[in-house]
Amino acid sequence: MAAKEGRFWGWAFASVIFRLILIYFPNNLNLSSRPEVSTPLTSLRRLAEGYWLKQSSLSPYAGSMYHGSPLLLYVLGPLTAKSLVFVIADVVNALLIRVIGQNLQISYNQRLKALSLDAIPKEKAILPSRDIAALVYLWNPFTIVSCVGLSTSPIENMAVILSLYGACTRYGPETPPRKLFDGKVEDSASSNHSHRAMKQQGAATIFSWKPVLKFLMWSVVWSIYVLVLCGLCVRHYGGLHEMFKRTYGFILTVPDLSPNIGVLWYFFAEVFEFFRNFFLIVFHMNILFMVLPLAIRLNHRPCFLAFVYIAISSMLKSYPSVGDAALYLGLLGLFVNELAGKFIDMQFSFFLFCVYVGVSLLSPVMHNLWIWRGTGNANFYFATAMAYACFQIVLVVESVSAMLSHDRKLKKLSIAKHQESKSQQHSTNDLSDSRTRTTVKSAVASWIEDLCILRNNAFLLSI
Amino acid sequence: MAETEAPRPRQRPIVRLGIFLISHSFSFSVVCCTAGVLALLLLPILAKNTYISENALMPGSANPMLSNQDVLEANRFVKDLIALNSKPRGSGIESQRLIAQYMKDLGAEVNYHKFHPQITQFHPLQFFSSPDSGTVERNISCSFHGVNTVGITRAPRGDGKEAIVLVTPYNSQKIKQAEALSLGTAYSVFSLLSRVTWLAKDIIWLVSDSQHGEYAAVSAWLRDYHIPMFTRLHTVNAETCPDINYLYDVRDNSVTGRKIYDGFKRAGTMAAALVIKVVDRSETFDDNLNIYAEASNGQMPNLDLINIVNYLAVHRQGFRVKVEKLWSLLDSKWLKNLGELFESVGQVVSSINPQWKFGIPAADYTEGIATLASSLYNQALGVPTGPHGAFRDYQVDAITLELSPRASVDKIIRQNDFLLRGGRLIEGVILSVNNLLEKFHQSFFLYLLTSPGKFVSVGVYMIAFALLVAPLPMVAASLYADAINLNSSQNNEKTVADEPGTALRSLKWVNAAKKVFVVHLWGSVVSLLPYFICQIPNRSPTVSFIIWFLLSVLSFFIMFLILASPFSHAKESQLHLREWAILKSVTMSATFIGLCLMSVINFSTAELGGLLLVPMCLMAQPMRRDIRVGSLSTLSRLAYNLVFCLIGFPPVTFVLLKGAFEGFNSINVGDFWCWVESLWAWSSATYLYIGMVHLPCWVLCIHILFHHC
Repeated sequence: MAAKEGRFWGWAFASVIFRLILIYFPNNLNLSSRPEVSTPLTSLRRLAEGYWLKQSSLSPYAGSMYHGSPLLLYVLGPLTAKSLVFVIADVVNALLIRVIGQNLQISYNQRLKALSLDAIPKEKAILPSRDIAALVYLWNPFTIVSCVGLSTSPIENMAVILSLYGACTRYGPETPPRKLFDGKVEDSASSNHSHRAMKQQGAATIFSWKPVLKFLMWSVVWSIYVLVLCGLCVRHYGGLHEMFKRTYGFILTVPDLSPNIGVLWYFFAEVFEFFRNFFLIVFHMNILFMVLPLAIRLNHRPCFLAFVYIAISSMLKSYPSVGDAALYLGLLGLFVNELAGKFIDMQFSFFLFCVYVGVSLLSPVMHNLWIWRGTGNANFYFATAMAYACFQIVLVVESVSAMLSHDRKLKKLSIAKHQESKSQQHSTNDLSDSRTRTTVKSAVASWIEDLCILRNNAFLLSI
Repeated sequence: MAETEAPRPRQRPIVRLGIFLISHSFSFSVVCCTAGVLALLLLPILAKNTYISENALMPGSANPMLSNQDVLEANRFVKDLIALNSKPRGSGIESQRLIAQYMKDLGAEVNYHKFHPQITQFHPLQFFSSPDSGTVERNISCSFHGVNTVGITRAPRGDGKEAIVLVTPYNSQKIKQAEALSLGTAYSVFSLLSRVTWLAKDIIWLVSDSQHGEYAAVSAWLRDYHIPMFTRLHTVNAETCPDINYLYDVRDNSVTGRKIYDGFKRAGTMAAALVIKVVDRSETFDDNLNIYAEASNGQMPNLDLINIVNYLAVHRQGFRVKVEKLWSLLDSKWLKNLGELFESVGQVVSSINPQWKFGIPAADYTEGIATLASSLYNQALGVPTGPHGAFRDYQVDAITLELSPRASVDKIIRQNDFLLRGGRLIEGVILSVNNLLEKFHQSFFLYLLTSPGKFVSVGVYMIAFALLVAPLPMVAASLYADAINLNSSQNNEKTVADEPGTALRSLKWVNAAKKVFVVHLWGSVVSLLPYFICQIPNRSPTVSFIIWFLLSVLSFFIMFLILASPFSHAKESQLHLREWAILKSVTMSATFIGLCLMSVINFSTAELGGLLLVPMCLMAQPMRRDIRVGSLSTLSRLAYNLVFCLIGFPPVTFVLLKGAFEGFNSINVGDFWCWVESLWAWSSATYLYIGMVHLPCWVLCIHILFHHC
């Protein structure tokens, strides 16, 4: 174990050195001006511009360069010259992911034990998924590029991961489906087999309003606090209204149509002006439609749900960058045991990997062909953007279905084991009624939890 | 590719199709590869006639205005230039002064442009970045500079936002008759254009000083035109270099009294550029016009530019238009037979239905193939075929027109006729380009020429390439699916899954991917090595090549040692049989990605590389298995593998190709080094392709071949 630990730290250290080398080398590829790296929201140049405007007591939003929160200027503005901040942010991100992974693993093992399936994970010598996830995050070329290319996405990713971390430490996060436990509680009520654990489990599923109310109260307090601070900052420059228009309005109405790796710019460049509002609503509703069904289906795995949400939002964002992909690919590493374990395979993993490599190499070449050489056109670049979007969709669909079938398999195993140990012909069918009821209840509860997490993210981002 | 396992009762049709393709991957790959090669050979037949797709161009719609008066003026100019040769001292400066004087007399704005040819640097990603990133402050010696002379005629009807460029390269040290003629042609057009009223775009006449190479002068001028330099370079020059001081001293007491502006003069963005050259080949039949179009990395100018030149030259001025051919292919036996075969097929087809147009005469076919081969070769090399290549880096469409007169131009009447026709051709082209409202954009940028009037567009030649590389992902998927299935069935039989490696059987490919990645990393190290080797003083090409080879081998072993951990790790799980299959499937995927990427950057490189790599990749199999079985088919496969792996090694490929075209007598080891050096001096993407796609793929194929399974 110590050797493994050492290897992790060695690789992490190597990644930091690699970043430092890349940062202090002359920038041949001009990464900070690449459309893949810096979007209007994450470009450090724009932030520096906003900071400069603020220093010369102008509105930071003048000239439509800067579109972030005014508070971010106070935090990051003085640091714009130092790219070391982003390296530190990346390392912190990786460490946070590692801690999240640890929490997930502990709770996963606990749940397995509670289901009396503990024999299986021990046998297969689980890979330390937390180390894999952290190293995937650190060595992902996307992360490195967005760190070296001086975009603010490492900082934004830090906000997201930090809120995830907070959510994970407060409530024990990942469980096999709750249905299992419900069945189990009533099945094993007679036999005293790990009775206490079951009871605890049962207690956890009971929905209570108290933590939700508490969370809502605190988030309201926090948001008011943040808004007041923002209002103080921009009170001379048009107040909060201007700020909302320039930050959230800029994100929602997609006025900047410069090419990026998303698909919206092309679409809104082509669409007729009088349909624009309609399609804006359609595109943004798209994300909202997915929130509830996913929450119901994946209510037993809030952390995985968070991964799915992040992947979807980075796909449908108005200004996506590779930094977003870096975040969800890092989080995907947390579930490597579930997704590629002995129970279930992600069949397309190799294919996805190849597409990922291919698209990320092809996209800059297409951009070059269009912008610099002038022999291609916008369709060339947009084709790779579409391929990239499809790749993300396949990734999300595959990982969700793999996760669900993993849980199904667990359930089968546990039922088989259960029946074996009891050697009874006790049918579990008649329990289904009560089970669905509890499921819906717990789904609603966890959905609210998830919303809380997401809100949390949003608040942290708005700083 | 759908590598689904565990047959379900009902599968979606696309999955079923995928499974069908994968299960018949062998026959499909044979069919696809043959079809790919056949489609490449069919390209001259599939070529379409060129047509002018931009309506605004309207070539030949006006009568040429270039008169004998202009030609006589030009003749005087040519005579004066040649007369300079007999003067003893400083003829370089004298010739520039003379040209400037003539330009000024036409009422043009004139300035000199001093430049220092850029020292060749190792800049492998140049094709990828914008052209400005290469400029570095250099240490300059006075003896090593050139002076371009630039004349600009402002358009009476234009807003000064656009310009058309005429380039005439000449050697200022020794002016030859042909060069003087090319200057004369340009002068006749320039003198006409300074008088006409219809001009809407400024005309820039760049007389480039080609004593350090034609390309270097033009590219230096373009660099300064597009990227203003705010340095002291200019003043330093004036202080230290007596020649240039002399240039500026004389300008004051020149006859007209008007000063020559010593800054840098600009007109608007360039719509098109024509490089005019005259060569003195004694052709027997006719006045010839050779068109050179290939710029760096196989980029071509817009086809419309070639079209108007071709149209005007053939239909108005009666030139014989040619594009480059690979002459040695013209009299090859098998091509003639192939052409006759296609011709007879075409006859059969047309006898069935006269509507179907298929097949061309055998002679045309051979010519088409020879032109196509030369077109492919020049594009694949990625080295521009003339000074026009420098324009393409700034997205300006440019071609070189190489005029060669029928007989010797000593006779004054012949010369006048030649000047008149050449001048009228260029006048017509400029008139057409002058009509343009936007940049050239209507016609093709991605095409191959099979004759001056026939082209193959990207939509057609991509089919050949797609067919050629299609087997790679298919066979990769089938190998992968087989290996996974085999593995899982083994697991089921044994039901002991206590080995840690097999726990993640769907991530089996990670080890192979690691190996492939390390080899590709090595490939990039190998392609960086020449940068360091070039620092060694006094080395011959042969020595450099040997050093390069040894260092590459050394770095390979070092990387093996340093990154030994993944390999030793992999050894544990090598117990299972199909490890090589997964490695091969990852190799093929990597090759596929590399070839597809290269086909976007430079199609011809990808096509030629694909012809070498695809058969090698598809057939690679461990040697021991073949020997163990020992049947005729396996042994023949073994022989095939060995031959292809030998051919696939880049130096061997180079030697074989060179030997095939130039004979084996003159080959030595250093030639390969010289070739590679020229590739990276021109910052060709082909160099990167060889280092980072071809070589790693070859190493991996060798690895598979010698795999102990």
